[in-house]
Amino acid sequence: MMNGTIVDLKEVSKIYPMGELPVSALSKVTMSIKNSEYIAIMGPSGSGKSTLLNILGGVDQPSHGEVYLGGVKIDNLPEKALLSARRKTVSYIFQEARLLSSLTAIENVMLPLAFYSSQKAGSKPRDRAQAMLEKVGLGKRSAHQPHQLSGGEAQRVSIARALMNDPLLVLADEPTGNLDSRTGEEIMGLFQQLNSEGLTIVMVTHDPQKASHARRVIRLKDGEIVEDVINHKFTICEV
Amino acid sequence: MKIYQVALKEIGKRKMRTIYTSFGIAVAVSMLISVMITASSGQKEVFNVIARYGHSLTIQPVDTKSGQSLKNFGIGTGSYIPETALPAILEVYQTAIVAGWEKMGALIFQEGTIGGAAFPPPTFAPRLYEETTIKGKDVIVGGVVLEKELIARFWWDIAEGKFMEKDDEVIIGRLFATMTQTKVGDLLDVGSTKMTVTGILRETDSPDDYMVFTSLKTCQTLFNKQGKISMINVRAMCPKCPVGEAAVEINKKVLGVRATSQMEIATAQSQIFQKTTALIVSFVVASLIISCIGVFNIIMGAIHGRMREIGLLKALGASKNQLIRFFMYEAILIGITGGIIGFALGSALSHIVGPILFKDIVIQVTPRFLVIAVLLGTLASIVASIYPALYASKIRITEAFKSL
Repeated sequence: MMNGTIVDLKEVSKIYPMGELPVSALSKVTMSIKNSEYIAIMGPSGSGKSTLLNILGGVDQPSHGEVYLGGVKIDNLPEKALLSARRKTVSYIFQEARLLSSLTAIENVMLPLAFYSSQKAGSKPRDRAQAMLEKVGLGKRSAHQPHQLSGGEAQRVSIARALMNDPLLVLADEPTGNLDSRTGEEIMGLFQQLNSEGLTIVMVTHDPQKASHARRVIRLKDGEIVEDVINHKFTICEV
Repeated sequence: MKIYQVALKEIGKRKMRTIYTSFGIAVAVSMLISVMITASSGQKEVFNVIARYGHSLTIQPVDTKSGQSLKNFGIGTGSYIPETALPAILEVYQTAIVAGWEKMGALIFQEGTIGGAAFPPPTFAPRLYEETTIKGKDVIVGGVVLEKELIARFWWDIAEGKFMEKDDEVIIGRLFATMTQTKVGDLLDVGSTKMTVTGILRETDSPDDYMVFTSLKTCQTLFNKQGKISMINVRAMCPKCPVGEAAVEINKKVLGVRATSQMEIATAQSQIFQKTTALIVSFVVASLIISCIGVFNIIMGAIHGRMREIGLLKALGASKNQLIRFFMYEAILIGITGGIIGFALGSALSHIVGPILFKDIVIQVTPRFLVIAVLLGTLASIVASIYPALYASKIRITEAFKSL
């Protein structure tokens, strides 16, 4: 990782073959994400936000260009090596919390350990999961089942789950899309808190209000970056 | 948190689906297990009979006169073996059997034992056949020594009434009873003597069905054939006695008689039984395959309904192999559940079907069948789950992400 850079995209394009007329989802995108950044990616539907997020996280391969994740060139990596690079670097937060209803809150937080365990998470997994729940303000709800949690609480559990393996980068796809505005602001406040502690966050959102909490805003249109600015109007959540 | 723990928790959440899927396997396993238990117990019954009675010989006079069809069954009248010849025939038989054992390499430590194990002496069941007319029908009267007859013809059974006990009593075959409308308690004119019918034999699909039986002594007296017999049925009373050797020796050394070995009968019975069992098992295996297809459909359908879960597990870092393992753990648990239910159902079924198929069967359910049922259920479940699990593992993560 050079100069604290977590992800580096160089001239990245993504073309989907759709019959005789291939669709270009991303076009020659060049960007870097540095450690401890909090980035909001905005743009209308079909602008390539999700494709960009997938390429940043190494779950999709670009058609052209180079992608470096945690210092490793991943755009041509075989599947196993790509999975290994992804596990060590990236965590996801989705629009819905997507907790397994058969598991308690703390078990959901520990779920990534079933597949991969980082050094930090490996030694005392339950203690770490409890610490992550406390970090998101749900220390006393660890034994609750998902159906006993509110939407905001469930999303907090999914954030704790994303932090479990100590990722370099958290990718959040519309993380407040299914929450009411107050709960959404609470989650934004949590993101700011985690970012202030050094966590790198990239968030896709439609909502300018939510984007205003990020320190850097990237706007996409027709697969191209049309704006990449430091958010001087950066606001602290008041919730 | 381990993958199997997650799989167990997921199964615990989907109890009804698990039971439903397990039941598909359980039905097929229960059929297979019931066939196996019944066949195994029935086989033991056949082996017990073979072990108890062994092979048999029929000894007749060489010039037995009778219709060709009856002669084939060893029934002939008009030619006799003197009863006094019996000890000599028995001696030839015993000598030949011992020689036969020695030829086969058996160790004979003392008379009446093979390799140190005792075996009972053979049963010689003599019969006298005489033709007569009863109720206007030509019929053969058979004189028998009842206690020997019941050993030699162990399939004999009384359908109505009881076996004869006195000299003026007879039992009759089912066909004769029907054709002459004779019932238990009726009096029959046998020769010049009135005799009471004490019982009707259960049908055996043999000439016995159209015969009248009385004691050997009575028959000899009625037809003035004292000291004469028409044939001897010999039961070896040991499972592998070389009766073929005995037949050859009797034919060589005892003039005027013809000994025929029937040693293949019991073996043939056993082989037919095994072939029938194999046929039934093959049908049941086919049903197991069909139920595998059913389970496959259920699991495949469930996978389509669990795309979000698969997407989540992939997003959390699950590899292809880990996802396959996740679904295999589920399959194994479903298979074990199906196997246990199948074992319980199969055992119950064999207790119902067994006694219908085999008289006096003792159904023996051993832990071996539980192990087989669980293994079969698990195997069926795994086979049915392999493709769905591979399919789930190959779902592209970007496709799975769309569901999240």
